Amino acid sequence: MAADPALAAECERVEALQRLVRERLPREAPPPGLLARIEASVELPRPRAQPSWRALAASIAVTAVLASGSTWLALAPEMTDPVRDGVVAAHIRSLMAPHPIDVASSDRHTVKPWFNGRVAEAPRVVDLAKEEFPLVGGRLDVIGQTPVPTLVYRHRQHLISLMAVPASDRANSAPVLRMVGGYNMLRWTEDGVFYWAISDIGTADLDKFVQLFRTSSPDQ
Amino acid sequence: MVRGDDDNARFANVVLPHLKDAYALARWITGNRADAEDVVQDACLRAFRAIRSFANGSARAWVLTIVRNTAYTWIGKNRPAALVAVEDIEAVEIARAIPGDPNAETPETALIAQTDVARLEAAISGLPIPFRETLILRDVQGLDYREIAEVTGVPIGTVMSRLARGRSRLIATIGRKES
Repeated sequence: MAADPALAAECERVEALQRLVRERLPREAPPPGLLARIEASVELPRPRAQPSWRALAASIAVTAVLASGSTWLALAPEMTDPVRDGVVAAHIRSLMAPHPIDVASSDRHTVKPWFNGRVAEAPRVVDLAKEEFPLVGGRLDVIGQTPVPTLVYRHRQHLISLMAVPASDRANSAPVLRMVGGYNMLRWTEDGVFYWAISDIGTADLDKFVQLFRTSSPDQ
Repeated sequence: MVRGDDDNARFANVVLPHLKDAYALARWITGNRADAEDVVQDACLRAFRAIRSFANGSARAWVLTIVRNTAYTWIGKNRPAALVAVEDIEAVEIARAIPGDPNAETPETALIAQTDVARLEAAISGLPIPFRETLILRDVQGLDYREIAEVTGVPIGTVMSRLARGRSRLIATIGRKES
C-alpha cells in the first residue's frame, strides 16, 4: 500500500472521514416523550380509559374530604398498576438519559433542599454511604401527571431509584416485592409516603437497602 | 397475564436499551425527527409483537433490522419517489462501475478534518439511502460488516462496496468548493 501513493492518500482521506464522522457528528438522543409513548403503545390489553393517576389523585382528594381510609383500600387493587408502570418507566428512562439525576450530590443537605419548591413535600433523605449504598443525587419524575421526588442511590455499579409518592391517607404497610420488566421493586408506606424502590440489583440487596433506609435516621 | 409480564420484561431487556440507536437510524433514513419518531414507535410495536421470536444473537442488530424495515415501509408509503430514485441511482452506478465522479477534485486530508458539522450532516443527508444507512450503521453505530449485512439484507460484499462508494461520495462532496 505504501508503494502506491494514490492509494495511500485515498486511505488517509477515508480515515480522516471516519474520524470526522465518529468524533464530530452529533449523536442526537431520542426526544424525551418517545420512550413513554412506546411503553404506552406496547402495554398489554387492559382497560385503559385513563383511570390511572388522575382517578387516583381524585380519589385522594375525595378521601381527604371524606376523611375515610376505606376509599383507598377499595380502589387500590386496580390502581396500583398505572403507578407501578410509571415508576418502572421513570427508572428505565433515567438509565437511558445522559444523566440519571437532576441534582448530583452525595450530601443530603444539598439534595433535600433542592426539592423544596419543586414538589409539595421534600422527601426524607438519609445517607447510606457507609453501608455501601451511597447517595448519588435526586431528580423529579412525573408519574401520571404528578411530579414525584426521586432519590438515586448507588450500589456497586447499579443505580437504585427511590420514589417518594405523597399519600397522606395510606396506612403504613410493610415492603412488598414485585418483579417488573426485569427490575426488582419494593414498595411500602410509611408516615403518609408511598415509597417505591426499583433497581436491577438482586432482591436480597434491595431488601437490605430498604431496611437500611427505613431504620437510618436523617439526623445522624 | 403471566405471559404478558414475560413479554414486557423481554421487550424491556431486548428492545429498550437500543432505543437511541433505533432513533438515530430512523432519523438518518427518513431524514427528519418527526418521521423518525413515528417509525421508531411503529417498529417497537412490531418488535413487541415478535418479541418471542427473538432467540439469541445480537439484540441490537435484531432491533435495527426491524427499524430499518419499518422505515422503508414508511418511505414506500409516504415518499415512494425517494426509493425509486435511489434504486435508479444505484443501478446506474453499478452499470458504470464508477464510484463517484472520477474527475472530481480529491480534497486534502486536512480539509476533510476541518469540515464543519453542518456541512458533514448535509453531505450525509445527500447520500442515496443505501449508502447512507450503511455508513451510519458502520461509522456511527459501529456494527461490523456481518451485522450490517444482516440488518440491511444484502451480502457482505455489497455492504463493503456501498460503504466504499458512500465514503468516496462524501469525500467528493466535502471537497467540492462551497457555492
